[in-house]
Amino acid sequence: MIAAVRSELTRLRQPRLLVAWFGLMALFTMLVNTIMVTFVSGGGSLPPGAPGVAFPTLAEMERPSGLMAGLAAAASMFGVVTLSFWAAVTAGDYSSGLIRLLVAAEPRRWRLLAGKVGALLIATAAATTVAAIVNVMAVMPAAGVAAISTAAWGTDLVSVVASAWANLFIALCVWGVLGLVIATLTRSAAVAISIGVGYVLVVESLVKMLKDVPSDWLLGTTLGAVASGGTDAVSYGTALALALGYVTVGLVVAGAVFGRRDVTD
Amino acid sequence: MSVVRTTELTRRFGPITALDRLTIELPSAGVIGLVGPNGSGKSTLIRILLGLIRPTDGTASVLGASVHDPRDYAARVGVLIESPAFIPGLSARSNLVSLARLRNLPLARVDAVLAQVGLAGRDREPVKRFSLGMKQRLGIAAALLSDPELLILDEPTNGLDPAGIVEIRELLRDLGRNGRTVIVSSHQLSEIEAVCDHLVVIRFGKLVFSGPMVEVMSRTREHIDVAAEHQADTDRLQAALAADGWAVTAVDDVLRVAAGASRAADLNRAATAAGVTLRRLLVAQDNLEQIFLEMTGRVDGELANGRAATDGKVA
Repeated sequence: MIAAVRSELTRLRQPRLLVAWFGLMALFTMLVNTIMVTFVSGGGSLPPGAPGVAFPTLAEMERPSGLMAGLAAAASMFGVVTLSFWAAVTAGDYSSGLIRLLVAAEPRRWRLLAGKVGALLIATAAATTVAAIVNVMAVMPAAGVAAISTAAWGTDLVSVVASAWANLFIALCVWGVLGLVIATLTRSAAVAISIGVGYVLVVESLVKMLKDVPSDWLLGTTLGAVASGGTDAVSYGTALALALGYVTVGLVVAGAVFGRRDVTD
Repeated sequence: MSVVRTTELTRRFGPITALDRLTIELPSAGVIGLVGPNGSGKSTLIRILLGLIRPTDGTASVLGASVHDPRDYAARVGVLIESPAFIPGLSARSNLVSLARLRNLPLARVDAVLAQVGLAGRDREPVKRFSLGMKQRLGIAAALLSDPELLILDEPTNGLDPAGIVEIRELLRDLGRNGRTVIVSSHQLSEIEAVCDHLVVIRFGKLVFSGPMVEVMSRTREHIDVAAEHQADTDRLQAALAADGWAVTAVDDVLRVAAGASRAADLNRAATAAGVTLRRLLVAQDNLEQIFLEMTGRVDGELANGRAATDGKVA
């Protein structure tokens, strides 16, 4: 399996792909931090069920964890970016015809799938690191301009940064697996990305508006809770368990489809 | 030992029977040509041999192992399927390195195969800048990467210029002479005739011929192509020659007469007697293309399959 991971990592080293992925993560981080700090210092609050972002209050911003609040705030946006790149990389094997060559070289298809997941996890860790670094670089000057107190931000610095990084990474991995599953099913990056974005921006928002339907289990809500280290609605443990469930179901579906599919179409 | 053996191999796609109880045995070592009209089942056979799809019925083995478990032979087989497939944004070298890593091969093999196909100086360029011919060379390099016992190449000279075709032809011959088996699927029958030691012809998923190339070429006959000085006389010449007992068929703007060099003078006299002056009289040998067309009946297999499926004749 290590051979499959190394092989996939070599294929991932496409300058345009990595610049686009990491660049979008950096761009969204800067954008979200700038807007979030302006919004929070102005005493604004988001309407319930607003898609894609969840801003902290001013008091939450001024806690030690406020330093990394930008990562959790835009977890769904980062998730969609991650979903898109996992989907693009997965569907690209089909559109280029490379999948035939790979399956002929390594008939144990589960190894190919595991190799792809392993390599994409490594790339996702790098993307999360980029977002974490840009977050720190962006939030400091933005907080200074908005007169948000940063006195507590140095407390437990390593723990705060590490847990924010880990929580975002876990959430992004689940988003990524979702992209991989949809791309494996549809064999099209465009369709997979459309489904993913459409789900977050439309379906999940609509479901949240239905008062009689419980929405705590929804993917975006769950992964938002993971990225935030738990919320009032969903505890961290519940969110992790749900995320694990989503990943397991996703990988089983992807494995079953990829294992049996005619890859020559 | 047979490098590939199939028994009653059948594969259906809905109403289409792509392979119909195909039984073949291919010898090890040498270059084997796999030919047939479009839709004859060549690609389906290759896909089954590579473990990409499963047969509906029958059995097949590659290098002595069943196609139901391609793990047993995948490392010993190199392939170029349909068209070269690479990541366009990566260099030729990186594409090969990724495949070498997947197969746990030393990276020295990458340099070796790049040199073998003449891409050593261009290996750092992204594949998206490559011409079709260069991509084809890279595809062959990928197939050679594991130094395989069996190479399966689909249209290996597609997109190559004449010099490139000669080069790849020599490479295939060398591989065949050095104890490897190379299966070449191609529509370029002149290439098949030039490099193959053994020929397999399939049509509508059934075996039409399998045997040494010399046996096929022994079926060739001489013929004489004649052309009237004035195009308008062609029909009159054809009628006169036919009335005189010559076997004549019209091929484009010439008449093809089934006769050898010894009858060329008689043919010229017969044309003169009919009042037609010839501007061309050429004695030639049938080539593989003519034999292929005789064997396969001058049909486009895909169109015939489509019509048969529509008519409900193929089940």
